[in-house]
Amino acid sequence: MLARIARELYWLGRNLARAEFTARAVEAVFQSELHGAIDSVPSVSFGAGGLLTMLGAVDENQPAGTEALAHLTLDGDRPGSMLASVERARDGASTVRDVISAEMWEAINITALGLRGGGQPGWAAAAGPYLSSQYVKERTSLIWGVAGRSMLRDEAKCFLDAGGLIEVSDMVLRMLRVALPGADSPRADGYAPILLKAVGGFHAYLRAVTAPPNAHPVARFLLFERAYPDSVAACVDSLHAAFTAADSGPRNSTPVLRVSRLAADLDFQRRTLPDGAELTGICERTQQELARIDQDVAERYFAGAYAAGTWN
Amino acid sequence: MDELFEPDGTPRAVARPLVDALERLGHDGLMDAGRRRDAIFVAQAITFETTGEGGATHERPFPLDLVPRILAASEWDSIKHGLAQRIRALNHFVDDVYHGREIVRQGLVPWRLVASCPHFERAVHDIHPPGGVYTHVAGCDLVRDRDGTWRVLEDNVRVPSGVSYVLENRAAMARLVPELFARYAVRPIEHYPQILLRALRAMAPSAASDATVVVWTPGPANPAYFEHAFLARQMGVELVEASDLVVRDDMLYLRTTRGLERAHTVYRRLDDAFIDPLAFRPDSLLGVPGLIRAYRAGNVAIANAPGTGVADDKAIYRFVPEMIRFYLSEEPILQNVETYLLSDPEVLEHVLEHLDTLVIKPTGESGGRGVMIGPDAEESEIVRMRGVLTAEPDRWIAQDLVELSTVPTLGSDGALHPRHVDLRPFAVFGERVDIIPGGLTRVALEEGSLIVNSSRGGGSKDTWVLADGVEPEAPVPTLADTAAPELPDLRFGQWNDQQQQQQQQGPSD
Repeated sequence: MLARIARELYWLGRNLARAEFTARAVEAVFQSELHGAIDSVPSVSFGAGGLLTMLGAVDENQPAGTEALAHLTLDGDRPGSMLASVERARDGASTVRDVISAEMWEAINITALGLRGGGQPGWAAAAGPYLSSQYVKERTSLIWGVAGRSMLRDEAKCFLDAGGLIEVSDMVLRMLRVALPGADSPRADGYAPILLKAVGGFHAYLRAVTAPPNAHPVARFLLFERAYPDSVAACVDSLHAAFTAADSGPRNSTPVLRVSRLAADLDFQRRTLPDGAELTGICERTQQELARIDQDVAERYFAGAYAAGTWN
Repeated sequence: MDELFEPDGTPRAVARPLVDALERLGHDGLMDAGRRRDAIFVAQAITFETTGEGGATHERPFPLDLVPRILAASEWDSIKHGLAQRIRALNHFVDDVYHGREIVRQGLVPWRLVASCPHFERAVHDIHPPGGVYTHVAGCDLVRDRDGTWRVLEDNVRVPSGVSYVLENRAAMARLVPELFARYAVRPIEHYPQILLRALRAMAPSAASDATVVVWTPGPANPAYFEHAFLARQMGVELVEASDLVVRDDMLYLRTTRGLERAHTVYRRLDDAFIDPLAFRPDSLLGVPGLIRAYRAGNVAIANAPGTGVADDKAIYRFVPEMIRFYLSEEPILQNVETYLLSDPEVLEHVLEHLDTLVIKPTGESGGRGVMIGPDAEESEIVRMRGVLTAEPDRWIAQDLVELSTVPTLGSDGALHPRHVDLRPFAVFGERVDIIPGGLTRVALEEGSLIVNSSRGGGSKDTWVLADGVEPEAPVPTLADTAAPELPDLRFGQWNDQQQQQQQQGPSD
């Protein structure tokens, strides 16, 4: 397929995944900020400030609390906001309208139209961040669902999926790096359901892990649990499958090899790391590796588009 | 004349079931369908950029009027044959202009006129395209005059646009007001993309059946980008921009994720001037250097062929009936509108005297820009035009004013008003000329206005061509009526049993 189209689809996947992740995180933070901390046990805190840091949206006039969440949802001027991600996705989708199905384009277009201009009546109220993130969650689920049902499982779908996967794993790693307390902190193994709720994985955790949702087991779950689709290990596995399917010569392709090395490395860490071991270092290394994969992908698959000089 | 109503206000025979259905829908039904239509078009971003006189642009949902236009089978037959004849003649003309120039030698078309066409391209002299076809996609604008005779107003054989709206209009009508279709057998049009793809494949330079066809768009900023994407999607081919194309060793390639891959046929949706900076405008950033060299070498087919613009020039238009007689030895089936070339001083004098009854058009513009309609023009405008015509008579033509026919159109008040319409049928010239039934009916939304261009605030209508030999009064058998389903060996019992078992077990768990 055309290098330019592949690149647009990859970024469409990234932007959609970014919007969805932001929506889930905003919803979780919104809920938790309504309550105070639990008295009896130390808990891991992940609030509006953490979310802004994670999305790289920190600036001098740092808004706080609900105001920060409002910025993260419907402020189109902030590149980290849901609206900005959805608008970028819509712009990208409009240039690949011949590749994605009409239904899918419509779903993306309606989502952007629904968020514009402050969204729907009532979203300006205190519950605005909750309502708008709820909307984006539903809409992105619909978009991915339509993509799954209506797109051919060809290269195009592979690049769309790959973009989404790399974005999700990157977001999970960022969140862990921002939120995980240091080893000497009293909250090193604090109560951490907020991290699960921020990715929509609380229920999955309860079914998969017997330990209480404290920081250590939660971080292990989000990093290594291959049965949970948004864990880093599961994303890397799927990423490997997507690139292998899309590549003309996967046996000597840099991105494929790098992804498969990362998958093996994560599996090795899962087996050898003792319970309670520090995980922030792994998060950092994995994230750097993902950045290198992103670069390899651009060089191997989108090189034609870059060479044309239309993208910079 | 009105196409649906007799002069005394009663519906014509062919329109009676439609008028009945519209009355049953009533004011509220139509207004409601109109609201759903706008919502659907905005959701799908089927919008059109309109340019006001001041140059400001804004997007609005493509204005589809809910009252269709009906063409009887016999009427369509003569249009179809007339168009096919005209397009074959235009194709001969393009071939002739770039090769033997027989028609010029015979003194039928002045060479000075051909050579001064802005779209006459010396760079493609003596190139033979595959199959000898230049005008692969053509859209001629037709109008009906006072007594209902069809006339050709304009030929478009460069990059005629609008076919996507024809298809989307039909799809939307079937969703919004299915009850209007009930008593008619309307000929389908949805196969247009397949006809186009077949023609584009047929012209590919390689004998291989899996020729790669691409649609080439100038980019998302182009007002017709929706149509480019629509056609690519409907044909299942790639939509490319200049940055996706590269010429190496006189072959055209696509930049893909797997390196360079060859492309055989390009359906380009941009003007000659921009397609190859080495052959045409050197400042074009939208072009692919070397494309014309590859085309000359016979390694890539281009639709429509570069240089075809010479055939749809407004000044050349006057000679099309001559072309039909000269190349095909036939009499033209469709008539021209009387046109005056102003380079002849006597004609110019006549035109200057009758400016208030004629239509004056610039030869180098399209989309209705710069047109002056004499009877509607202010006195000052006519005075200004007189000066312009005297100074540069070659850049303008004059035509008799045609009283366009009207079709009832839904106004914003929910009532029907007569509005002027034209018709642009679309023809595909592959191994033969195929014309899809109907075409784009454009309608002037303002009372009395004769300007139907979408870029100038015109709307559109779904155009129905009725199937031959079907009486509009008789009910039309649908597919469901004709084929009764019968599946004798299929049993449904087991599934019911299972459900019953579950229900019985339910309370005891």
